[in-house]
Amino acid sequence: MKKIFAVALGILTAIGGFLDIGDIVTNAVVGSRFGWSLAWVVVVGVAGICVFAHMAGKVAAVSGRATFELIRERLGPRMALANLSASFFINLLTLTAEVGGIALALQLASSVNYLLWVPVAAFAVWLVVWRVGFELMENVTGLIGLLLIGFAVAFFLLGPDWGELGRQAAQLMPTQESPATYWFYAVALFGAALTPYEVFFFSSGAVEEGWSVKDLGQSRLNVLVGFPLGGFLSLAIAGCAALALLPIGVEVGTLSQVVLPVAEAGGTLLLVAIILGIVAATFGAALETTLSAGYTLAQFFGWTWGKSKAPAQAARFHTTMIVCLVIGLGVLATGVDPVMVTEVSVVFSAVALPLTYLPILIVANDPDYMGEHVNSRALNVAGQAYFGLILVAAVAAVPLMIVTGVGQ
Amino acid sequence: MTEDLQPARSPSGGVLVDARLSLLDRQMLDVDGVTVGVVDDLELSDVPAVLERGTPPPSVLALVHGPIVLERIFGGKRPHGQLLRFGWDTVAKLGSAVELAAPASELPRPWLETWLRERVIARLPGGRHVPG
Repeated sequence: MKKIFAVALGILTAIGGFLDIGDIVTNAVVGSRFGWSLAWVVVVGVAGICVFAHMAGKVAAVSGRATFELIRERLGPRMALANLSASFFINLLTLTAEVGGIALALQLASSVNYLLWVPVAAFAVWLVVWRVGFELMENVTGLIGLLLIGFAVAFFLLGPDWGELGRQAAQLMPTQESPATYWFYAVALFGAALTPYEVFFFSSGAVEEGWSVKDLGQSRLNVLVGFPLGGFLSLAIAGCAALALLPIGVEVGTLSQVVLPVAEAGGTLLLVAIILGIVAATFGAALETTLSAGYTLAQFFGWTWGKSKAPAQAARFHTTMIVCLVIGLGVLATGVDPVMVTEVSVVFSAVALPLTYLPILIVANDPDYMGEHVNSRALNVAGQAYFGLILVAAVAAVPLMIVTGVGQ
Repeated sequence: MTEDLQPARSPSGGVLVDARLSLLDRQMLDVDGVTVGVVDDLELSDVPAVLERGTPPPSVLALVHGPIVLERIFGGKRPHGQLLRFGWDTVAKLGSAVELAAPASELPRPWLETWLRERVIARLPGGRHVPG
């Protein structure tokens, strides 16, 4: 019984933990402009994150090494430093977007300007990093994040026109938007599904929680069941926007427009649930990005790291996280639109992806590390196919961003 | 950490360890598995400028950790005052990390870590307590 509970808890937190501000905003924007015609990207992206998160978790459990330790070891200090600079910057951007997301959600709930919520949100994130145990942190944010199932409820309450949605999903290129814009959002959705911080966090978390080979089954279940269910919620978010906003020509540009279909379909109660869900999901992601900032830097430079140690035992690790939160706070204090930060962060995530994934793919095939747990042939075929895809998305991202003026 | 490094034997009876692959840039763990640094460079015994026949071969004296990694990346020379030495005699095992036989308290510690701990982190409320 206890075992079943642990398995269920792992899966549920994976669902709730899958979505972050990038997924929520990008899916809503895409739904309101393209309907479900980019739904295939979500499917491809979710399968990709399953392949790589599974691989990163396996490597961490078998070898005890987190992803950035391997990046330095395999790519050498020079390439790893270039990688660190890019990954750290993008992670900081994502961190800023998540903290902004918490504040925007709290503004929806309270009508108090989000700028006043930003310091509250950042302080709360620090407090949890500083004082709350790893498992409790994961479980609480993941379980409350499950309230985002409200998007699926709203989707069905809106009475989906399956014929129309199916037509959108089948018709790859809608005529009213330019191909460049379409492909720009394809890359953005892909980047939102496969953010590098997820892998840094997932592998370092596995080391923190002391995973061993016998935890691999649970890890596989969490990833292979939890993430796809999280992907369904992405589709529901896009679907809500496609049903309620696309027909009336509203293009999502704010968080209140993201939740508009939910209010329309489910009334106040569902809206409250969704807002709470968004707060929890973005809060969880803010914690993960904050920790990832510490993990990547500490693992490159060989600092003592770990959330499960007393902060004084990992002083540089904790100082890094405080500094990053202060920087995020400073960026948001300039009044820059957090939704804009989010859109930029998912595109740059796509740029950084190959740098993160290549070392995992290499090490997952190294018998010195993995022993009998080296990648199976099937996993390698999937891993390499995705690496090709990631490379294409990474190369295309910035030109598409410039050509389309960030999707205008 | 399941697989031990299995070094190949060289024809002359010595052991082949690929220093770049198996030593450099690997994490160093203390006896409790806590990260105490990363192998940024190796310290060899004295290598004379002119090697005459019969000069004994150099051996690895210590694993070195510190800002020297920046020299490996960018080149150039810096003062070597801040380098931490982990003597080869403390190495217990070469695996997916270099495992040392001593606890962190007996190993050299970077000044920045100590300074931040004493001046900042330990002074904040709860800084000395394990979370949770």
